[in-house]
Order: sequence, then structure tokens, then C-alpha cells
Amino acid sequence: MERAVPHAVPLGQIEVFQALQRLHMTIFSQSVSPCGKFLAAGNNYGQIAVFSLSAALSSEAKEESKKPVVTFQAHDGPVYCMVSTDRHLLSAGDGEVKAWLWAEILKKGCKELWRRQPPYRTSLEVPEINALLLVPKENSLILAGGDCQLHTMDLETGTFTRALRGHTDYIHCLALRERSPEVLSGGEDGTVRLWDLRSAQEVQTIEVYKHEECSRPHNGRWIGCLATDSDWMVCGGGPALTLWHLRSSTPTTVFPMRAPQKHVTFYQDLVLTAAGNSCRVDVFTNLGYRAFSLSF
Amino acid sequence: MSSESSKKRKPKVIRSDGAPSEGKRNRSDTEQEGKYYSEEAEVDLRDPGRDYELYKYTCQELQRLMAEIQDLKSRGGKDVAVEIEDRRIQSCVHFMTLKKLNRLAHIRLKKGRDQTHEAKQKVDAYHLQLQNLLYEVMHLQKEITKCLEFKSKHEEIDLVSLEEFYKEAPPDISKAEVTMGDPHQQTLARLDWELEQRKRLAEKYRECLSNKEKILKEIEVKKEYLSSLQPRLNSIMQASLPVQEYLFMPFDQAHKQYETARHLPPPLYVLFVQATAYGQACDKTLSVAIEGSVDEAKALFKPPEDSQDDESDSDAEEEQTTKRRRPTLGVQLDDKRKEMLKRHPLSVMLDLKCKDDSVLHLTFYYLMNLNIMTVKAKVTTAAELITPISAGDLLSPDSVLSCLYPGDHGKKTPNPANQYQFDKVGILTLRDYVLDLGHPYLWVQKLGGLHFPKEQPQHTVIADHSLSASHMETTMKLLKTRVQSRLALHKQFASLEHGIVPVTSDCQYLFPAKVVSRLVKWVTIAHEDYMELHFTKDIVEAGLAEDTNLYYMALVERGTAKLQAAVVLNPGYSSIPPIFQLCLNWKGEKTNSNDDNIRAMESEVNVCYKELCGPRPSHQLLTNQLQRLCVLLDVYLETESHDDSVEGPKEFPQEKMCLRLFRGPSRMKPFKYNHPQGFFSHR
Repeated sequence: MERAVPHAVPLGQIEVFQALQRLHMTIFSQSVSPCGKFLAAGNNYGQIAVFSLSAALSSEAKEESKKPVVTFQAHDGPVYCMVSTDRHLLSAGDGEVKAWLWAEILKKGCKELWRRQPPYRTSLEVPEINALLLVPKENSLILAGGDCQLHTMDLETGTFTRALRGHTDYIHCLALRERSPEVLSGGEDGTVRLWDLRSAQEVQTIEVYKHEECSRPHNGRWIGCLATDSDWMVCGGGPALTLWHLRSSTPTTVFPMRAPQKHVTFYQDLVLTAAGNSCRVDVFTNLGYRAFSLSF
Repeated sequence: MSSESSKKRKPKVIRSDGAPSEGKRNRSDTEQEGKYYSEEAEVDLRDPGRDYELYKYTCQELQRLMAEIQDLKSRGGKDVAVEIEDRRIQSCVHFMTLKKLNRLAHIRLKKGRDQTHEAKQKVDAYHLQLQNLLYEVMHLQKEITKCLEFKSKHEEIDLVSLEEFYKEAPPDISKAEVTMGDPHQQTLARLDWELEQRKRLAEKYRECLSNKEKILKEIEVKKEYLSSLQPRLNSIMQASLPVQEYLFMPFDQAHKQYETARHLPPPLYVLFVQATAYGQACDKTLSVAIEGSVDEAKALFKPPEDSQDDESDSDAEEEQTTKRRRPTLGVQLDDKRKEMLKRHPLSVMLDLKCKDDSVLHLTFYYLMNLNIMTVKAKVTTAAELITPISAGDLLSPDSVLSCLYPGDHGKKTPNPANQYQFDKVGILTLRDYVLDLGHPYLWVQKLGGLHFPKEQPQHTVIADHSLSASHMETTMKLLKTRVQSRLALHKQFASLEHGIVPVTSDCQYLFPAKVVSRLVKWVTIAHEDYMELHFTKDIVEAGLAEDTNLYYMALVERGTAKLQAAVVLNPGYSSIPPIFQLCLNWKGEKTNSNDDNIRAMESEVNVCYKELCGPRPSHQLLTNQLQRLCVLLDVYLETESHDDSVEGPKEFPQEKMCLRLFRGPSRMKPFKYNHPQGFFSHR
């Protein structure tokens, strides 16, 4: 009647606390470095850990190679989203976005390059930033989150240029439609809205939950994930994961997934999607046919 | 020359008696009576040179005559014979001359030799004399050098220096006038002075010796006096006992204890000394006592003859009574085991008094053959405790001190050498005997100064005072906290079993005023049952569920929703927080694996426990956690989004004030309570 995991080291107060922390940790965001060798991950305690992908994926990888190269406290609240430019790592969580230099990040005691807080209307509670989107052509950053607005920030000057209002509940995710250029945002209110960046106006609203094919009322209306290919869009969350044709704003294919999807992306002609509660990454061709699943 | 060639010695011709020995030549001595012919004398007279000439002449004549004879013989004739005869006679005469010359030559030779011989002898005699004289000279020289080298004993004596001598010596000894000039006298004087001084010092020495004798005698006398004092002091002390008691100064008692302490084995002695010291210096609530039989302790060290006598007696008795019965192998092994696990007859008892008048009684034993110490614990409270069912293990002597330091479960012997001893008598582990013998915790060994380093097993481990002293304070504090936290839990469990979460007034601010969810059940579960639960797998895999922990199950209900919470209570409560794992049964079964909000609720209770600790010594942690759990259930149920497809109102109307219902990509509910504003927000 032996336990499966005998512990040689008696667990004192500190070890128990660390174990509990790890058990209740959620990783919300990740970003790959511009050189491709490092992966930064942000968790719900506000820490960012940088892993060396080259070491972990090499043939001589040991246990230590899978541990982070450096970990530091980036934010007071959770780090909900991260995105990388060619020199910086931008992380955002509780209300502000911070920038870090990739070159400096690997040294201990790294300090943020700058931090910015978009102008919020309410002062009672600091809204979180759920999504960051880089618009390379304008060299600007779009933030969206708890205050139901999309803010654009110019990366060179650091000023907030526009605030796009329209959503009635907080925004979960953003996607960039390159050709137009337009930004798509999906939110808790169940809508996907398209915004034109040049005119700063809302162009189109798609109320996903109103379409019978994809709505799943018992899950709610919220749109958790968005991905766009300029002509096509995939979105899901409370409603089922659906492929939409944007010009006609009609759902074409509903992917048969039970769990609410948290992440989706287009890859060449395939759609890759992951739900938060399972260990699978499902791969679909966009004809609605599930090709296969990658599993942890 | 023919005379030289014929060296044959002829006997001496003439002796002093005058008897001629030559036959051929007979020259009779007729010339004078009384006078004898000495050819030797003649030799001296004749001249050797002339004799030589004569010889040559004679030889020539002879040669001539022979030649003439030859001639005549060859010529022949009648008168030859007469001439030959004539010449023959002449030649005979010449022959006789030759013979004489020969004799003379010999005599001369002999004389010469004799003279040489004489001279040589004289020379030899002188030579000998010379040798003798030389030898004597040498001898004398040696003697002289010896005399010169002679060191008189007086030079080995270290005499005082000249100046001192002249200064100190009295004038009749120093005699400056005489000695200054004459070194010999000076030395004599100095020697005299030396002798004087030595005599004086010898006197002094004798005096000192006699003094010493006297003083020694005095010392003896005084010693006797002192030893006679001891029994008198004892009687005084006896008489003072009632006074001591009256004044609350139990010196005698302490003294008696120290007396008994002398018979303690070293680790118990170290513990006794350090604990008494600590108690006197830092902690008045600690009291130390020694229990057990001192006679038995003394008996352990008795010389073997006595015990052998006893043994033989008892053996004889035994033989008579049980002749046939031999102890079986099992009984023998059992006896050996008992022998190995034997305790020292004396034990040290520590009583720790806590603030609320509850006392922790610790009895420390020493196992002699195993060289380890064990402890038995008992908690007594001022008032009688009604033990709630779930609190059974909290204060049980077996587990109340478990894991005082992390990992110190006290079920295994800390001395690695014991394993070999156990193998001999077939003991698998000390765990089976722990109830009887007490627990061999590591901190107990440290308090007794015993240190067993893991890498090098040592043959003899000696009790070390410094090790004990360095651990005493921390251990005592930990013991006190342990007892108090256990007692607090005891009280809390009694309340929890009745469904009331006892939140003290100073922790009320952590929770909203109205909490609807109620605690319905609180029971203990076994370790194995905890491991079997389906929602506790994470904790088990993280290694946080060990068999030294205590496990409980709580049930919180509100309406149709039932929340099960499996609780792991670490013996190190409350520095190590209890760990909760939740399973909600409401519209399906939700656990942390399928509902992120359940995970968030667990996080609120497990990870954010520091807020719930309450005022020190944070005994309120568990109850606060339970109360928070009720609050979290309330929030969860009330903020559940309404499903439009289902008819009917929400089961739980929202009463809690929340700024936002969902936040972040994970759409968390607002579980954080803000005081004093009273609303809920997200972390």
C-alpha cells in the first residue's frame, strides 16, 4: 500500500505553499521571441517566465532545460495577453500594458521599458486588458478589454490615438483583417464587430448568438476566440465554433465541438483550435472536417 | 791471493797455557822459562805491509825453485838429485814461511774482527742508553703535559665573580692586599668564601625543612576539624527544611533532584540540565522532574560478582521449579527483543504549562541498547474536555506531537546503527513498539544532545550539550504552539460538528454580514479514503497527502447545491495551511478539472490563506477558510448566468454586490470580498 509519489524532502511551510501555487496556476498568454529561441509565458499571478525553446527541444534536453531561464514579477494582476514586436515584448493584464526589451529580459532584475494605461472612464475598478493586437503598417498597438472599448496606441509616441466604442460588454479577443485594414473584436456581449481603422468607425456587427446553427444558450453568448483570413472568419466560445464568410456575414460551417473554444487560428488552409478544458488541439480543414487532434 | 782464498779457520795456535796443537810445526818454546811464545803479540809488532812483501817474495822464490827443480828434473843428471833435494828443502822452508804468513794473516783478521766486535758492542751500549734516555724524556714530557693540563676540582665550582667577592666577603677571608697580587691566593680565598657561604645555606635549608614539617602537621589538624564539620552542617540543613518550605525556596528539593540526576544516562542528563536551565532563565512555565527508581539505575552499574551471585541463586531456584521446561525459540527471541528495547529505569518528565491552564506532560525515556531517546506525551486541560468525534486524533498521545518539525513522524529509529541490531533479533521496524516505548522523534534526540549524521554512522554517539541548548528554545515554543493549536482545533471541531462555523469577532471583517450557505457535515475520513476520491488527484500527485496528515470531509449546502470539501490537515497547522479540494453537485458535477471557477474557489482558500490567518497565533485559519468557502459558494451560485432556454426564475437571486460578473479570458466570478465597502471583485 505504498503511495505513488514518495517525497524524500519533508515539506515545510514554503514548499507546501509553492506546491499549492503551482497547482492553482493558470497560464493565460505566451509569445515567442523575435529570434525564435525563447518562449515567454504569463500566468495568473502576474509572473512572466521565459523558457529556452532551443534547449528544451534539443536532443540533449534534461529536466532543467524545461524549467524557465528566468522568472520575474511583471504585473500585480494576471498577465492576460502578450505580443512580440521585433524588439519588444508587450504584456498586458490589469489595466496597463508594459513593454520589455527581449535583449534585456534574460538578465535578472529586468525592468520594464515603459508602461501605459489607456484612458479609462470608470475609476472604481481598473479594467483588465484581454487582448493585444499589433498593426504593423501603422506601427500601433490595439488594446481591448474590460472597459468595452478598443484603444489604439501609437508605438512610437506612446499616445492613445483612438477609442472605439460599441461593445456592450467586455471584449475578449481581437483579430486583424489585413487587406482592408479592419479589426475584428469579439466580446462577452456575444457580438463580433468589425472596425475600420482609418475612419475609426464600426463597420459591421455580427450577433453570433442569434444564429440558430451555432448558438448554444446553455453555454452563454460570449465570444472567446476569433481568427480571420480576410475573407473568412472563425469564432467560437459560448456558441459553437463556426466558420463565417465575412462579405455575406453568414455562417457556413459549424465545427462539431462540445466544449467552448478558447483559442483558434488559421494556418494555411487549416483551422487549429484549442479549448481550455481539454488537452487537445483540434485541426480542421475548413470544410468542417476534423482532420486530426494534437494531444498533450 | 791464496791466503785470502783459504779462509778456513785454523784452530787457535797458541793458548795462554801454551800447549801447542799443531803437529806439523812444532816450535818449542825453549828460550825462556815462564815466557811463552805469543804469536799474537808478534802480529802487533810486524808490519803487515812487509809481511805482504815477504809473501810475495816467498812466492816468487817458490816459483823460481819449482821452475829450477823442473829444469833440473827435465835436464836430468847425477847431481840433480842433490840440487833437487836442496831446492826442496828450500822450498819447504818457503812453505813454512808461507804457513806462518798465513797464520799471521789469520790472526790479524781475527784481531780485526774482535776489535770491530768490541767497538760495535760499545756503540750498542750507547745506543741503548740513548734509547733509555729518550724514553725517559718522553715520559717526563708526558707527565709535564699531564701536570700542565691538570684541572683542579676547584675550577668546576662556579665561584662568584671577582667584584662580588671583594664586595661581599669579609676582609679576613678576602685579604685583599695579599690576594690582589697573587692569583693563587686569590683563588684560595675565593674557595674559602664559597665554603663559608655553602655552610650557611645548608643551615638555612635544614631550618626550612623543619618549618615545613610543622606546617604540614598544622594542616592535618585543620583538615580533621573541617571533616568533623560536615555532619554538623547536614544536621543544620535538615533543621532548615521547614524554613525553606515556609519561604518557598526549595533548595533542598533541587539538591535532591541534582543528586538523582547524577544517575541519569548522559542524554537524559543533558536534557535535564538544559531544560532546567531554560526553565529558570526564559520560561517559568516549564518544570522538570526525574521519575523512576534510582536503585535500579544504580543496580545497572553494579560489579558482576554480585549480580552473578543473585543469578546463580535464582537459577538454582528456577531449576527446581521448572525442570523440564526449556524456553522455546520464540520465547527466547522475544526475550532478546525485550532486552534490546530495554529502557533505563530513570526518566525525565517535562511539564509545559500553557496560557489557558492546559498542561503538556512529556516523559522522556532512554533506550540503553539502542542509544536513542523516546518521548510519551499527554495533554491535560484545566476543564474536562468532551471530545467531539472528529477530534479523536487531535490530542491523542500517538499523534499530537507528530511532525513537529516537517517530516519528523517518529515512527522510525533515528540511529542508523540500530538496523543491524534489529536484524539480529528480528525486529522489522520500531513502529510496532512505538506505542509502548514512546516516539523517537528527531527533536527528542537533539534535545538530548544526540546527533546521528546520515553519511557516517558513528560507533558511539556522545550526548552534546551545545546541540541540546541550540534546539531547546525553538522546540519548546513549537510544543506550546502545537498544544494550543490542537486545543483550539478541538474546540472548533466541537462547534463544526454542530454545523456552526465559529468565527471570532476579530475575524468578522473578512466576510460579508449575510452568509446563506451552511456547513452541514464535518467528519474525519481515513487517508486511504481521501486518496480514493476522484477530485483529490492533483493533491495526491503533488505529494501533499501523506499518511502523517489528518483528513476531513466537510459538506456545505445551499438549496439544491451541495459542495463537498475534502480537507488535508497538516500536523504543522497552523503554519502550514489546510488544503481544500472541492466538488460541487449542482446542475451536474463540477470539480476543478471541468470548471475553472471551482478552481478559483480552491485558490481563494488554499493560496490566499494568509489573509485568513487572523490575529496571531492564527488558530482561526481553518474556521475562516470554512467560512470563506461558504461565502464563495454563495457568490458562485448567485452569479451563475441565467440560461435563457430554461424556464423559471433563477434559483439563487443575486444578493451580493458585484461590480462585474465576469472578467478576463477565463471569465472568472468575483470571489474577492472587499472590506469595508462590502462588494465583490476579481483578483
